[in-house]
Amino acid sequence: MAKLCLVTGVILLTAAAVAQAAGDPAAGAKKVFQCQGCHGIPGYRTAFPDLYSVPKLGGQHPNYIVQALQEYKKGERSHSTMRGIAANLSDEDMADVAAYYGGAANSSGGNAK
Amino acid sequence: MMMKKALFTLALATAFSAAHAADGNAAAGKEKSTTCAACHGPDGNSPSPDFPKLAGQEQDYLAAALHQYKTGKRKNPIMAGFAANLSEQDIADLTAYFSSQRGLFLKY
Repeated sequence: MAKLCLVTGVILLTAAAVAQAAGDPAAGAKKVFQCQGCHGIPGYRTAFPDLYSVPKLGGQHPNYIVQALQEYKKGERSHSTMRGIAANLSDEDMADVAAYYGGAANSSGGNAK
Repeated sequence: MMMKKALFTLALATAFSAAHAADGNAAAGKEKSTTCAACHGPDGNSPSPDFPKLAGQEQDYLAAALHQYKTGKRKNPIMAGFAANLSEQDIADLTAYFSSQRGLFLKY
C-alpha cells in the first residue's frame, strides 16, 4: 500500500513538473516584448561583427527554445545580447516565452512563412 | 588608374562569388541531408522536441550556426562532429534546402 502511494506520488510529481515545463503561452505573450524587437521584425539581422538574419522562432519546439535560453544564461552560447536577456529570465519565463513561440500563428500577428 | 579599376573589378567578382556560394543548391542539399534527417526530420521539421526545426529557418542563420559549430564558437558535441566534415559548398547546399522547406515562421 505504501509502495502504491509512493508510486502515485512520484507520478503526480512528474506530471506537475511536466506541466510546469510546458509553460503558459498566454503568459508568454506578455513577456515577449524584449524578444520582438529582433525576432519579430522581417529580415532583421544581428549586428557587427557577425552579420546574419535573426532566427525565426515561430513554430519552433518549446523544449529547444528553453534549452537555448538556458545555454545563453549559463554562458555556453555566446551571443552577447541573448546572454544579457537570458540572464534575467526565470525558468518560468523561459517556459512561457517558449510556449508562446512554439504555438501556432495567432490573430495578433505572425505569418505562415 | 588601371590598377584601381582592376582592384575594383576583383572586389566585385569576389563579392559576387561569395554571394553565389551562399545561395547553394537546394536539390543538392536534399541529397546531402540524410545524416541531418535522423534528428531534424527529412524536411527539417524535427519530430523530437529536443532537436530544433530547420524547415523555413533563415538560410544565413543556419549557415552561421554551422560555421560556429565548425570553429567551436558554438558548442555541441553532436553538431561539432557533423559540421567539421562539411565544405562551404555543403553548407550552402544544405542551408538552401532546409530554408526552402515549409515549417518555421516569423511570429510577432
